[in-house]
Amino acid sequence: MKHSNSFSLFLFCVLPLFISPPADASKYFEEVVRANDLHFEKRYAQSAKAYESLIDKGARNGYLYYNLANTYIRMGKTGPAVLNYIRARKLIPRDENLAANLKFAIQQTRDKIEPPSPGTLSALFLWSNDFNLRELIYLAMILNFIFWITLALWMYFRSSSLQLARNVLLGLLLFLFFSIGVKLKNESDSKLAVVLDERVEVKSGGAEDAITLFQLHEGALVTVTDKYEDWLEVRLNDEQKGWVPKNSVGT
Amino acid sequence: MFLGKIKKTICLFLFLALPSVPQSFGQDISVAATVNKNRLTMEDVLQLSIIIQGTQNTPPPKLPSLPDFRVVSAGTSSSTRYINTQRSVSITHNYRLTPMNTGTFFIGPARVQANGKTYSTQPIKITVQKSLSQETEGNKTAFVVANLSSEKAYVGEQLVYTFRLFHRVDAKNLNLHLPFDKTQFHKEELGKPKSYSKVINGLQYHVQELSLALVPLKKGRHKIAPARVELDLIRNTQNRSSRDDPFGQFFSRRTRVEHKVLRAQPLSIEVLPLPDGVPEGFENIVGQFNISAELGKHNLEVGDTATLTVTVSGKGNVQDVTFDEPDLESHFKIYPDKPEFHQTVHNNQVTGEKTFKFALVPLESGNKTLPEFSLTFFDPGKVQYRVVRTQPITLNVKPAATKESLNLVQSGQQNTPSRKPKIEILGKDIFPIYTELNKFQNDGNDSSPAFIGVGLGSPVILFILSALIIKRRRRMKYDAAFYRCQNAYKNATRCLKKMSTVEHSDLPAAKEFGRKLSEILREYVGNKLNLQGKAITAEEVEHRLKESGYESAAVTRKLLERCATLQFSPTTRDSTKGLLGESENLIKLLEKQS
Repeated sequence: MKHSNSFSLFLFCVLPLFISPPADASKYFEEVVRANDLHFEKRYAQSAKAYESLIDKGARNGYLYYNLANTYIRMGKTGPAVLNYIRARKLIPRDENLAANLKFAIQQTRDKIEPPSPGTLSALFLWSNDFNLRELIYLAMILNFIFWITLALWMYFRSSSLQLARNVLLGLLLFLFFSIGVKLKNESDSKLAVVLDERVEVKSGGAEDAITLFQLHEGALVTVTDKYEDWLEVRLNDEQKGWVPKNSVGT
Repeated sequence: MFLGKIKKTICLFLFLALPSVPQSFGQDISVAATVNKNRLTMEDVLQLSIIIQGTQNTPPPKLPSLPDFRVVSAGTSSSTRYINTQRSVSITHNYRLTPMNTGTFFIGPARVQANGKTYSTQPIKITVQKSLSQETEGNKTAFVVANLSSEKAYVGEQLVYTFRLFHRVDAKNLNLHLPFDKTQFHKEELGKPKSYSKVINGLQYHVQELSLALVPLKKGRHKIAPARVELDLIRNTQNRSSRDDPFGQFFSRRTRVEHKVLRAQPLSIEVLPLPDGVPEGFENIVGQFNISAELGKHNLEVGDTATLTVTVSGKGNVQDVTFDEPDLESHFKIYPDKPEFHQTVHNNQVTGEKTFKFALVPLESGNKTLPEFSLTFFDPGKVQYRVVRTQPITLNVKPAATKESLNLVQSGQQNTPSRKPKIEILGKDIFPIYTELNKFQNDGNDSSPAFIGVGLGSPVILFILSALIIKRRRRMKYDAAFYRCQNAYKNATRCLKKMSTVEHSDLPAAKEFGRKLSEILREYVGNKLNLQGKAITAEEVEHRLKESGYESAAVTRKLLERCATLQFSPTTRDSTKGLLGESENLIKLLEKQS
């Protein structure tokens, strides 16, 4: 009796972590279908509004961002298009259509700035660029589960093959955790931003009366390196950097 | 959302784990502006440094308006110093100022915000002069020259703009600015920069030469702003003492980097409009051109292939020349190839050649004449519009030797010109949107930190539990004392339960009851303490229980004595039930204390 009570308490505490609250899925999918239909009917402004509304409600899906970006391309708004392709790329990094459309969108911009290449540390973990963070975490969870099962079996049976499997799994698991760490660091350090205004003046400081160093145009990709009040410090390369108003770029 | 939570957790961890680092270290804050020189020439670059002492956590300085300079950020540097256990910090923001005009200028106060206050630097007076007059062009270490192939041209006429950098020492980090007005000129690069040596007045210079094709777009007199190149000149320096030392010349040699801005002289050009009377077919081709056409073979069979090559060559914008497919009235199948273009620059003259190739496949036999190709252009040398034409070409087409049906796509004929298959790109577009609903599953909720924590932590907990179970099972198997201790309570309660079902109303039964109860109790204690239970006395039981820290040692002894009393003088009838209950309670109590 006592044991069954403890088990019920355990389930009561743990199960909600695994089971998402039942969302109104059918309504969500209806909204997606409606937004897609509006796109096909070439009512792009309404279609974009419908996609944006879904995202505002908390939907987080790479294909949603991709469709929204396609809609913006059709509307001729390269800035929001590039921004949403970049957002989609974080969630569906292996999608070939997305890569091609992002390239197309960048070619439509005036500055034609390609996304920055990964750093030295990231280059060592290039394989992880093909996975989004969620996939990497799930992979780590599966590998972690297999590792502990193997460890338990090895403790019970003590065979050399289980020992080899244990060591290999441990190595893979550590490598995977390190890859997740590098990905997390990259996503927090090099925050990509896209110029949304038709033209933005990059200043030497975070003030209107600061000197204009150079100009960027809609759709230009920059890396945000600092923040001060309503200004963001953006960088194009090692030499060209400056400050832009926060509301002129999307992140 | 999830990333944000992770970041917050990491920040919280860093906040708790790392010792708090003071940002300003309680120092007084001061701000100063310094320059590397107060007098400079138009060739020099001024280095402005804003030094903030006492803190490193400030936004970048707000520079004053500097319309007479071109300002480029040159990065920041920070320093932390310890002097007599006192820590001092500073940060320096560096800027590179390139003068745009000569004269005396003031660099106004730069403002820095720190700890809610605004600090300003002192203004700095700067004098900018023209290049030093005593150095003639021939004596300079480095100088630049720009020129145009002609000072007068017609709209659409191709000119050559040549920029040359002469330098006697190593030059690195070249940054060239060619400020052309896009509304007045169309600019096109003519190949890669050239590098060669030239002797001027007995001095040998390295020359870097860049040529551009300039096409004037509007009539009138236009000015071309001075071209500007920024570069680092690497000068070798030697110590005075080592000049006479033959080894010192090798070991004391040092280099000094000098950043310079060199400007070419401004140029002007008079652009004339094209004369009236534009002929039909004129497509803004300006220059002097020749045209020729030739056919690969003049005798062929139906289904064979012959290549018609049309070549336009000359000075001017050859690359803009285009030809439509020749009108051959369905006598031939025509496959046009991609035109090839080659261009060369020699002595400020751009010459080019554009070749058009058409693969012709005759569809019927007979003598055929190919129509001529013509090109209408304006010749600036002769100041007139001209038309050049190819000669008509005749060919003899014989009937096909084989009876097989003609396959126009088939290739591999002996005289067919080898052509790579090329796919012509007609347009570009994006890939369409996704519509499969299974792709749109919202994955925003199932990556919470709690989910990840349970996902990663539960195997560890399961492992620990299974390890404990395995360990216990092994101990139960091999450790007799542990096995006895673990089973003591179970055995004792089973025996007591068995006794409770038996009637102990008569005296012999009560005697047997006392003996059995005493045995159960002693067996229980023996199992718990790994002793021979049946052999130990009540006093010994108390002593051993006390040694092992049991609080109920005395009570156990008394109960055992009562059992002994019952065993040897069974007087009371109802004492058995009471003793059984007390024994059960005592065993429970001892189990809790173990």
